[in-house]
Amino acid sequence: MANSVNISIEAPIENQIQEITYDGQEIYQAPLSMSENLSRLAQKIDFSKTEDEFCNIKKEGESSIEAKSEDENKEPGYQSSLWPWDSVRNKLRNALTEVGVLADVLSIAKEKRYMVLDPIQAEQVDNRPMVQVYGRKKALGAAGAVLLAGVERLRASETMRMTRNMPDFHIDLLRLRQNWRLKKVSNTIVGDLSYRTAGSKFSQTGVFEVTKAPEEQIAQAMSMNSSGPAPSALRVTVPPELQGVAFISVLCQKEQEDVVTATLSSSALNCPGTLPGDGAELHWQQKLEAAQNVLFCKELFARLAAEAVQLDASIPHMVVGNQIMATVLPGIQLLIGLCHNNGQNNNNTEVIKSEASTGKSEHDHVLEHSLHQLLRAVHHNNTHHPFPHPATGPLGPSKRRSLAGPMAADRYELLEMSKEQSLLEQIIQQAQHFFMRRRSEYVLDTIAKEVKDPLIVSHWNALNSPTQSCVKINIVAYGYDAVCRTSLVVHVGEKTLKCICRDGKVRHLSYELQELRDLIYCQTYQHQMTAVQAVGRCMGWQLLASSAHLGSGPVEPLGNASSCLLASPNGDRMIAIRCEPSVGIQVFIAQSPRKDFFASELVQDKKWENLGGAFKEIKLDKMEGKNFLNKMELLMACLSSPS
Amino acid sequence: MSAANVAPITATDSLSQALKANIIPNQEYLLQGSVLDSAVEVLLHRLRGLCDNVDAGTETFDDQEVCFSLRDPNQQAAPLMLRLRKALDARDMPYQLRYIGQPDLGDKSRPTVVRSSLDIACSGMLIEFLNELGCRIEFEYSVKGYMFRKGRMKITVSKVFKISQSSMSPEPISQSYLVELSVLAPQGQDAIGEDMRAFADQLRPLVQLDKIDYKRLGHMSVT
Repeated sequence: MANSVNISIEAPIENQIQEITYDGQEIYQAPLSMSENLSRLAQKIDFSKTEDEFCNIKKEGESSIEAKSEDENKEPGYQSSLWPWDSVRNKLRNALTEVGVLADVLSIAKEKRYMVLDPIQAEQVDNRPMVQVYGRKKALGAAGAVLLAGVERLRASETMRMTRNMPDFHIDLLRLRQNWRLKKVSNTIVGDLSYRTAGSKFSQTGVFEVTKAPEEQIAQAMSMNSSGPAPSALRVTVPPELQGVAFISVLCQKEQEDVVTATLSSSALNCPGTLPGDGAELHWQQKLEAAQNVLFCKELFARLAAEAVQLDASIPHMVVGNQIMATVLPGIQLLIGLCHNNGQNNNNTEVIKSEASTGKSEHDHVLEHSLHQLLRAVHHNNTHHPFPHPATGPLGPSKRRSLAGPMAADRYELLEMSKEQSLLEQIIQQAQHFFMRRRSEYVLDTIAKEVKDPLIVSHWNALNSPTQSCVKINIVAYGYDAVCRTSLVVHVGEKTLKCICRDGKVRHLSYELQELRDLIYCQTYQHQMTAVQAVGRCMGWQLLASSAHLGSGPVEPLGNASSCLLASPNGDRMIAIRCEPSVGIQVFIAQSPRKDFFASELVQDKKWENLGGAFKEIKLDKMEGKNFLNKMELLMACLSSPS
Repeated sequence: MSAANVAPITATDSLSQALKANIIPNQEYLLQGSVLDSAVEVLLHRLRGLCDNVDAGTETFDDQEVCFSLRDPNQQAAPLMLRLRKALDARDMPYQLRYIGQPDLGDKSRPTVVRSSLDIACSGMLIEFLNELGCRIEFEYSVKGYMFRKGRMKITVSKVFKISQSSMSPEPISQSYLVELSVLAPQGQDAIGEDMRAFADQLRPLVQLDKIDYKRLGHMSVT
């Protein structure tokens, strides 16, 4: 996916800059002219080599020439500053002299009067085979000594190993190779403990080196704990930045007023001390696993920190040192920190512990595990691209992407497809849901404890996702669960609750506790109303009127008043029930032929006594009965006697 | 709001931009070979070890391919061949319409066959559309096998079946499996050919993946 970019190429400056003036102008060294260039090259000719060879040939009697050549060698050092061609001229002059002498000698020898050239037998090379033999014997002896020394060392270590039952380097190396990826580079063994092959794109490498543990150390370790497992013959060296133990601490806490105290109290978490045992004696598997964990935590934290800086939330996230602070809900903060204990700062642990004992909230293991899983899911998606079906399709696009063409997806849909949620957003959602769930649980438990009359039973679903849970609430009266039961389902999301009641109404609640509380209260009173009507049906009483939202009486602060009117089977008694969520339930009864009817001047006929009397209130708390419904049942039973 | 004032980029503009930037993968680099039925298990084992995503299990596929040809009635030039491939095991995935060009044989030193290939995902109305255009069905067959990937390379080990008219099971056309190593890449990325050759050498004693020249195959007598 390359857009073409114009690249301009310029050659670097050929001439060196001699000086830069104060106004920025650069003065270049003028390039050498041709004659200057030639003289520079001529100076480089080394005449001394040819001089020496010449001297070797005429070594007897011509020592004056040797002396002369030495003088000539010294001369260029002294005189080169005067004229570059001086040494060249001298050398050439000497050469001319020598050639002239040679020409003279040859002409004299040719004449054969004063000088004759006679062939001489070449000197016999003294054949000294014994010297050669001695030389070779010495060389071979040296080579043999080296090999013998090596063999002695190997044999010594082998016998020592056998006698003292020490661990075998090669078997240990095989075990190491079965668990970790190793490679031989020149004469060292290096390994890779990063998550590269699993799909990580983190830039930090996790290269470790494997060496042989020195024997004294092994012997010492074996003598110290003779009963424990044998120490390993390998020693692994992990990079210093990956040493020690690290973990990601996730804290959800109430928002601190002062940001500084928030950081301090959170950094006062004491990381667990180094792994048990000294660094060198620790088994390599634990060391490598710890280093790999450190690398993983570093990658996770780096990714979260980068996302925290890039994302723009309504309340910006803060990244301070090794901590990320994000606001989950108003008043609740999420603190994610990287705790890395190198094993070098042991002197701080005392101070840290005393601070940590005050006001320290617990590190949330579940959210830390979620973070690990989220990063592993990212790694997995980096490597596991879906295969094309049919097989000739291009490798890479997901199913939705490949359907986008034929299904005519528009630009908006394509953009939506490419967006994905960052890790930080996901973990914040999970933290929000965690809080919502806890709050809802708290509210339901408190209400269940407070309200005794109808029993409020909540069943939380066993299967839920990190961002959604479900609870089914049943409101029943004790003993009357077959008669009437009010149930509702609450879906707990990240910041909202969705409540679905039996009558089909769906209510969306926010994160405030009070709303859920109010809803449950209202549902409880509604339940009482419907239950009374159901009990009345069972007892044979007739429902004359009912209203779920009464308009009479004072205005209710919570919900609406509801009422119902029941008549006995033979019609002579009536029960009126008024239910107000803030006050409670009031019950009134009336009798149909009035007992207190007296004929007066206005109303003379006796038949008007059948119109029914006034309603009189019943003191419910003085009645017998386990709960309200029981009381109503007894009341109805008592009022429906045939007499 | 500012987006509404900017003129929207038309599809032809973005297409021409993509063509200029050379990001459309319209070349296929291909190496083919075959292996007998008796030897295919060993090859699959080897591929499982060499290829990516060992933990996910082997991916199988079951496709049906129909080849259409569009002839110009006036001219006697070679007809245009189009291939339609649908996945029988994933019915909700779109059909792939494929055009494969002639491989350029000029360069003998190239390690792989390079031919232009255009893959377009289409909906199911394609067959009617091609019929309306005047394409005729030349042949069809079904392919069933395994798919592997290593980086950008896709390796398929598949058996070709003849489609029978009745509802009987399709019969294979040979006792061997076809092995194909292919990469879809934009023009000019010839280095991938070297990687493909190196990978093919790793499979060397089990299967020999080579450039296959169809024209020469056509001249060979078929029994």
